[in-house]
Amino acid sequence: MKEMMGHLPGKLFLSALGISVIAFIAVSFSGFLEEGNLFFGWMTPPLVIGIVFVVFWLICYMIYFFFFWPYR
Amino acid sequence: MVFTLGALLVFGAIVIGMAAYGYRVSAKTAEDYMLGGRTIGVVVMFFFVLFAISSAWTFYGFPGLLYTEGPGYVAFIWGSVLGFAVLYMLLGPRLWAISRINRYLSPVEVLAERYESKGLRLVLSVSILAFVVPYIGIQPLGVGAGFQALTGLPAIYGAIYTVVLLMAIVMLGGMRIVAWVNIFLGSVYVTALLGSLIAVVVTVFPGGLPEAAARVAEVSPESLSNPGPLGNYTPVLFAGTFVVGLLAFSWPHVVIGTMTARDKTLFKWFPLLIFVFGGLFFYIIPFVWGSLIAPAIIPPSELAAMAAEAGVSVQEEADRVVQTIIQRVLPEWFGVFVLMGVVAAAVSTAAVQLMTSSVIVARDIVQGIVKPDASDKEVASFARWSVAIIVILSLGFSIWNQGAMALYLTDVSVPGFAQWAPALVGGLFWKRATKQGAIAATSAGVIYLVLGLLITVDGSRVLLLDLHPVIPTILVNIIVFVVVSLLTPRSSEAVISQYFDEPDEYLKAEV
Repeated sequence: MKEMMGHLPGKLFLSALGISVIAFIAVSFSGFLEEGNLFFGWMTPPLVIGIVFVVFWLICYMIYFFFFWPYR
Repeated sequence: MVFTLGALLVFGAIVIGMAAYGYRVSAKTAEDYMLGGRTIGVVVMFFFVLFAISSAWTFYGFPGLLYTEGPGYVAFIWGSVLGFAVLYMLLGPRLWAISRINRYLSPVEVLAERYESKGLRLVLSVSILAFVVPYIGIQPLGVGAGFQALTGLPAIYGAIYTVVLLMAIVMLGGMRIVAWVNIFLGSVYVTALLGSLIAVVVTVFPGGLPEAAARVAEVSPESLSNPGPLGNYTPVLFAGTFVVGLLAFSWPHVVIGTMTARDKTLFKWFPLLIFVFGGLFFYIIPFVWGSLIAPAIIPPSELAAMAAEAGVSVQEEADRVVQTIIQRVLPEWFGVFVLMGVVAAAVSTAAVQLMTSSVIVARDIVQGIVKPDASDKEVASFARWSVAIIVILSLGFSIWNQGAMALYLTDVSVPGFAQWAPALVGGLFWKRATKQGAIAATSAGVIYLVLGLLITVDGSRVLLLDLHPVIPTILVNIIVFVVVSLLTPRSSEAVISQYFDEPDEYLKAEV
């Protein structure tokens, strides 16, 4: 983590992770999870929201670790 | 019955054979036994960690709680996925470099040397063992229940079978074979969990998962969204469960995995597997089991009647709902296969926890405090023999204190594991962190947690303010850590250089 604080891409990566955690908590309070909508006929809101966030973390991680991580 | 027992014997023979092979090829040094000679690559590491954290809980407890509480409990998984990735992305490289440069063998040793304190070594060892050891015992008991359901024989036979496998793997093989056996066990586990799900869906719901969801919408529509059938998963609890999952980065038996890595490239690749295989595939299988298939086949009213008839709580009945459905819907041979999957799940987790516990006993308590002049061979021997004592203690505790599996993990073990997190993170990233701060914070967190769990008024955990146990205890822990550290003398310059400068240079230079 120390190496990430030493350059801009690392700071952006850590910021993205931090903001996503706050966003996840914000979504919890948005009322979306209380709606009975099913995606593709079976995916419940808590599952959908988790998948969306995992994909976001995956993209952030791939961009940073494969192109900017100082120890790559 | 003969087929069941025969299949389990063959399965057990394969596992013990692998352990024996591991013993034959191992270097017999403490480093080889405890950390697999620091030669674990990314694929083995992935199976090692994923199936270290995916226990019988993933088969029983997780679907069981999804069944009773609705889909909101999945927030724990989303938090855990990020937590494990954070461990390998943020903490892992530095922890690995420090332990490799200084030949440290346990994460507790890393912190004890960072804070220059034997007192902290004792506090961390005892507190980690206190929360890991009981969880080990739950695994054989979980297998025992499945064994009894399938064969009709007493549950203790299934538990003994599991214990024999566990002890063989850990005592003979050490960390390397625990990791290698987890590949075999994990393959059996995934095949059983996914195979049974597909077989049940094909047999009962020709229209696939949408048909199952439509059935749930008819019989228990509240099971399809928050706050769930019991109304518990409010936004506060959902967000809190996510935060509890995030603390997975501090699970000791996962943290020690970072120290076994062969090289730093592991930390580049490992999160890819966690996100893709763990987050987008593996954990969705038990989610579908518990939140869709189980309530679609056995509606909550029917499960409540089954629980009343069996004389157990609804949650305990829900914990075995997956197995009940498999036995009801699929042929008998499939039940045996699934039981092997459960054994694999239980053994893969308990073996890593047992291995971690034995490392802490031998390296931190025996060599670190009681017998500092113990030789390398003696330490490895202590680690092996402590396994038997830990197994007996853990089984005894679990038999004495049986309860719902999912709640034990999230309400007791996870908050307990988290209590060393401030000392761990602070030790690696905050130069101003001191031994007084680490000792005071860990002690305060653990004492607060234990009192908070034990003292209840009308079923309410008043000391914990009726919040999840980890929330108030970790807040107190962090506050004490920061305040006491700022009020006490800094660590020596030598230690700061050893923990903050040398790892940077090593990580930059290491290819």
